Amino acid sequence: MRRHTSILATTSLVAVLGIVSVPLAGFTEARAQQVDQPLPAYNPYPTGILPPDLVPELLRVRREVQTVFGRYLAEWKALTPPTLTGQPPTLFPSGYDAQRILGGLLNYDENMSPFRNEACASCHMPYAGFSGPIPSVNLTMVAYPGTFRFRAGKRVAQRYPYTFRFPVLHLNSRRAGGVGKFTGGAFWDGRSTGYKLQSADAEQAQHPPVDTQEMGFPDTACIALRISQAGYRPLFETVWGVDFDINFPGNAEQICSTPGGAFGTGATPISLSPVDRTKANNIYDHWGQSISFLEGSNDVSPFTSKFDAFLVGNYTLTADEAAGRALFDGKGNCNSCHLDGVSTKLTSGQTDTGTDNETEPLFTCFAYTNLGLPLNPRVAIFYQSTPDGVGFTPNPDGFRFRDLGFGTFLRSGPGSAPNPNAINWLSFAPTSDGQMQTSTVRNVAMAPPQCPTTEAPGPYFQKEFFHNGYIKSLKQLVHFYNTRDVFPFNVTSGHCPAGTTEKVDCWPMPEVPNNLDHTIGKLGLTDQEENQIVAFMQTLTDGFNPANPTVSTYKNIDTFTGQCMTGGNASTQGNQTIIPTFSLTQFPCATDVCSVAPVPAPSAVP
Amino acid sequence: MGAARDSHPPTAGFPTELEVYSMNRLILKLVIIAAAGSLPFSNSIVAQILPPQKRAEHVEITKEPELEIAYDDTAIVRWTSTNPGGDDEHFAVAHFGTDPNDLNQIAKSHIRLNRGHAETIFRVRMQGLKSQTTYYYKVSSMGADGEVDGVESPINHFTTPAPGERITASLQPK
Repeated sequence: MRRHTSILATTSLVAVLGIVSVPLAGFTEARAQQVDQPLPAYNPYPTGILPPDLVPELLRVRREVQTVFGRYLAEWKALTPPTLTGQPPTLFPSGYDAQRILGGLLNYDENMSPFRNEACASCHMPYAGFSGPIPSVNLTMVAYPGTFRFRAGKRVAQRYPYTFRFPVLHLNSRRAGGVGKFTGGAFWDGRSTGYKLQSADAEQAQHPPVDTQEMGFPDTACIALRISQAGYRPLFETVWGVDFDINFPGNAEQICSTPGGAFGTGATPISLSPVDRTKANNIYDHWGQSISFLEGSNDVSPFTSKFDAFLVGNYTLTADEAAGRALFDGKGNCNSCHLDGVSTKLTSGQTDTGTDNETEPLFTCFAYTNLGLPLNPRVAIFYQSTPDGVGFTPNPDGFRFRDLGFGTFLRSGPGSAPNPNAINWLSFAPTSDGQMQTSTVRNVAMAPPQCPTTEAPGPYFQKEFFHNGYIKSLKQLVHFYNTRDVFPFNVTSGHCPAGTTEKVDCWPMPEVPNNLDHTIGKLGLTDQEENQIVAFMQTLTDGFNPANPTVSTYKNIDTFTGQCMTGGNASTQGNQTIIPTFSLTQFPCATDVCSVAPVPAPSAVP
Repeated sequence: MGAARDSHPPTAGFPTELEVYSMNRLILKLVIIAAAGSLPFSNSIVAQILPPQKRAEHVEITKEPELEIAYDDTAIVRWTSTNPGGDDEHFAVAHFGTDPNDLNQIAKSHIRLNRGHAETIFRVRMQGLKSQTTYYYKVSSMGADGEVDGVESPINHFTTPAPGERITASLQPK
């Protein structure tokens, strides 16, 4: 307790002094930047892991987030006030807009973090298809800095358009006698199941606010506290009918201004009566539900891509796009899991009579798979094995951390969350190791209008793909599916043999050798066919307006104020940032990851 | 908590008779819209998860198993069969060993059936192999529910390469 008091006092003192200036390792003295927090930055990284422009880029995104927040504030001011009417009481006639706007305000509110410097949207901006907004981060450290600069997570910021429609995680009972295949849930590792709110998406929104590596509140009640202080509090009260009559203790503000991890393992450092705790929990549930409503609305998931226009006869696919679609459904076999909902494989002379009108295809099967991505040694989590300014060590395993994805979630392992059905599902961990959620293809190619592609030579917007950001362009992504088993090498990333080029004719070994998916690996696609599949994927970007095809209608896509990149080619895009992987022999998989029963099988994870 | 609030039009209070009339008209309109399926909350999730396909009555191998690649301690064998249907989640299975009369090892590799495809390419990865050794194998397939597809290849064989070498077949999928 004394330690906690001391931390709070330190935080408060530094807060009074204001923002601190901290030279960062890897930065020249001239480029030392001020971090936007009242504590010195946490910087356990060796030179070259943090991108040189990180601090100004974080500030750039903060300005963009504030811009969108202001737009939702303006929408609220213009909203026709809804009235509670009927039985059951319903907000009439503008309840939809009220809920959506509330979701927008919550999603873009930087006050929802201890240092009031990070919103949900800080790692998920519209112009990136709601994935990571900083090209240099996408190129280097993969995961995004949290409220406490520079703690960072372990995976790519996952796109969330259409996640609203993902079902609650479940195991089809008829499969229980086999190896088990799970469907639904949210997050790469499925840890947001949806079991409580009956919405995987709403529960997803409940994780980052209390993730030490992200928004970083030490207690979920901090969300209730900060909303109670927000200007839009009346809208929250209108939508949810709740009040904020919670008797917060005098130190609640201090606690909520201190990043998680400073209070040991306790989940509720704010002392509340049972009644008040229930109220705070209720508000936290509604937080998730409002954000989920936003994500399901036309602001985020509007079904306005070229492909959607094509399905209703308002767009004609180009020759390459049409060829790409045929490959997507045929030789490329993408459609076995990225379900397009409409197509049939045609033999010569047949006509496709499929329609989409009733299915709204999501281009995912909601399942989990291990594609065999190599370990990416640039992922920020590996380096955070020393205590930060509040005495918290994000990753005690250091280089011995391994990302088993869904398998680690089933074991309630490090970096994941408790498995709410462990009593029935734990036994499926060995057949789930290495598996990650199958993303929708929709909006994978979304980029800002001024650099409207993800592919070099551009001008392009640098994104990152798959769970660990190992892949840096869609060309590489398709090439990986196509040739993983054509150019396999038992090396780690950064160690491809002389004469080969990593990601071109050398694919390092998978991080997790078990449960590899063999739907893909050697598809026999030509270089041109790979490009055609990329062209088809680009038709799945929302915001296409047949009447004015050059201007995107996607909401808030216009907010990017950063720089585009140019040059190079998509096949080797980002290869200059490859670094040699640490020795897996010297740093074998940690016991809390790989030695928790039932252990990975049949192979050990190196 | 004493934070300042933005001023905002009142949202409580009872509507007038005229407002109720207008609301009823609006409600009727919304009901019609909902019936037309235009609201975003149709039960689309259910529509996205398809029930399992019907299992094919007859499954046969249309392209015999071949070695796709062999390197280090690994070999991948591929073959094509008619689409077996049933559970989309499927496994390519190989029973293998160095004695054709004792295929005492088993390898299973996950694949996902494409419902639109008349045929399915199965690929199975065998690991832990010794170099320069002849292995015998036969292949089959099964759903994730444990149901076998009822088709099995004759016994074939391949020989693994020397350390540091690899054997690559120039197979072209359909």
